[in-house]
Amino acid sequence: MGQKTAAGSVKSPPRFFHLFALWLRQHPEFGAFAGTVIVFIGFSFTATRFLTADSMASILTVAAELGIVSAGITFLMISGEFDLSVGSVLGVAAMIFAMTSKAGWPHFAGWVLALLTSAGIGLLNGIIVTRTRIPSFITTLGAMMFWRGILLAVTGGFPISYFPREMPLMFFALNGRFAGQFRTSALWFLGIMLLLNLVLVRTRYGNAVYATGGNREAARVLGVATDKVKLINFVISAVLAGLAGCIQFSRFLSVDPMRGLGLELEAIAAAVIGGTLLTGGAGNLIGTLFGVLLVGMVRSGLVQAGAPAYWYQAFVGLIVVVAVIVNTNLRRWALK
Amino acid sequence: MSGREPLVRMVNISKSFGTVQALKDVDFEVGYQEVMGLVGDNGAGKSTLIKILTGVFPPDTGEIYFEGRRVDIRSPKEARDLGIETVYQDLALIPLMSISRNFFLGREPVVRMGPLRFLDKRRMDMTVREVLSEIGIKVRSPDEPVAVLSGGERQSVAIGRAVHFGAKLLILDEPTSALSVRETHKVLDYILEAKERGLSIIFITHNIYHVYSVADRFTILEHGHKVAEFRKDEVSAEEIIEIIRSGYREPKE
Ligand SMILES: Nc1ncnc2c1ncn2[C@@H]1O[C@H](COP(=O)(O)OP(=O)(O)O)[C@@H](O)[C@H]1O
Ligand SMILES: [Mg+2]
Repeated sequence: MGQKTAAGSVKSPPRFFHLFALWLRQHPEFGAFAGTVIVFIGFSFTATRFLTADSMASILTVAAELGIVSAGITFLMISGEFDLSVGSVLGVAAMIFAMTSKAGWPHFAGWVLALLTSAGIGLLNGIIVTRTRIPSFITTLGAMMFWRGILLAVTGGFPISYFPREMPLMFFALNGRFAGQFRTSALWFLGIMLLLNLVLVRTRYGNAVYATGGNREAARVLGVATDKVKLINFVISAVLAGLAGCIQFSRFLSVDPMRGLGLELEAIAAAVIGGTLLTGGAGNLIGTLFGVLLVGMVRSGLVQAGAPAYWYQAFVGLIVVVAVIVNTNLRRWALK
Repeated sequence: MSGREPLVRMVNISKSFGTVQALKDVDFEVGYQEVMGLVGDNGAGKSTLIKILTGVFPPDTGEIYFEGRRVDIRSPKEARDLGIETVYQDLALIPLMSISRNFFLGREPVVRMGPLRFLDKRRMDMTVREVLSEIGIKVRSPDEPVAVLSGGERQSVAIGRAVHFGAKLLILDEPTSALSVRETHKVLDYILEAKERGLSIIFITHNIYHVYSVADRFTILEHGHKVAEFRKDEVSAEEIIEIIRSGYREPKE
């Protein structure tokens, strides 16, 4: 970062701040990182069992399921679109996985069907948005309600459970315990985050994603296939939501038709905390990683600190607003 | 131009948007290594004409010839592949992205690792450093966001990008209208330099004085019609302004 000052010939604070500002221009995730550290230290003192392996594992379990959804949302948001239907897609995918498992399908086949269905929903979202130019906020709000309605209608509102005699391999792969309370979902989460970030920062496609969200018209006249980028990102967002649904079902072994309700807002919140711009064109997955860790810590930490569960929502809301204010000011300061 | 096909020839171009006739039977030519000033009042159809040439949208009628060959330009990418580069006033670069990402957008060099291809960051940064120092722009790093550049610097970077990628025709849509006097001169100088390197240039503006100093010929549009075409030695800047000011005259058929 900026420790060079100490080694530099003249030790002058302005130079340090200058270097820090330059660094900050390329690292919008700094705010979320700092927030994560602060909240972590805070809970270490206030929640007695916070600094245990079990507690870390439970944070990761929450963060992983949210984070997989949020990773897709981040990608999509950077390209300038929203997806409010991810909560419903998560529910649909979990339900398909549950029903096919119960019907005796091979688990792998049920999983693939759940993901394909999710991809189809994402594709539909993308086609509607790119063809009609109706804002994705509206389109996916419609999709959110539509698929939730279908889910309720098909199940009659009843939950579906599936209790196999022993843990199927597929379920273990998705969300089994492998070290104490640590679950494989954390590996999916970290793998997806790193992979998507690599794509975003190190490939041509990532460049096209930033350009599409940064200025769609400019990107288009420079030869970027912006509609294709958006379409692909809608599919990514939906598939990851579907994957999170299957992962969650593997943990609970039961799913009710309201599964995933409200998740879209938490996922967007995590992305925004991580420095992704609501208007598109900027952000990355490292920021989202810290965003979901922050949300996960707040959820586990508040419980462990003995606060009633309702405080969670209020606290996350507070963090979102503070994070946006901090991120915005950091950005402005860094560009001066 | 005698006998030889010009670099660009657009014939009988018409285009309407709903009830608005943006262009009506316009013929337009640009020669090799020529700066063509495309002028006319706001709404005359200048941007529409070049958007047709760059594949943003198709004409209703008309034909385009590039280097003597009939071409169908169906997308900005196809125009780019032909060697037609456009610098739009407000769409030249994407402010949130870094200079080097902008410079290579859509044409990024890659290194292969098995089946995977990753951005060749080293080559990108090196090239951008070179181009920036040629233009005379000082930035700490090619990773700086474009937002730190001034308007004139952005135009210059976009022009430098076109030259770097071997464009044959450079189109500038109102490149100077948001710039200070000093920055305008820098950009105008840079346009002449691009011409020296062998490019043809279409310079669109409604500021006649800006274009008059660099252009070889002028085409005047008015309400979607071509009303006049001059070589620089046939007309003064004041006369062009007078033609635009006095309004639409029947185009000679
Ligand atoms: N995409 C579009 N949709 C509808 N009308 C348009 C569009 N683009 C241009 N026009 C109209 O066509 C006419 C010519 O516009 P334009 O080519 O932008 O003029 P200029 O660039 O000379 O100022 C104007 O009346 C403008 O309103
Ligand atoms: Mg115009």
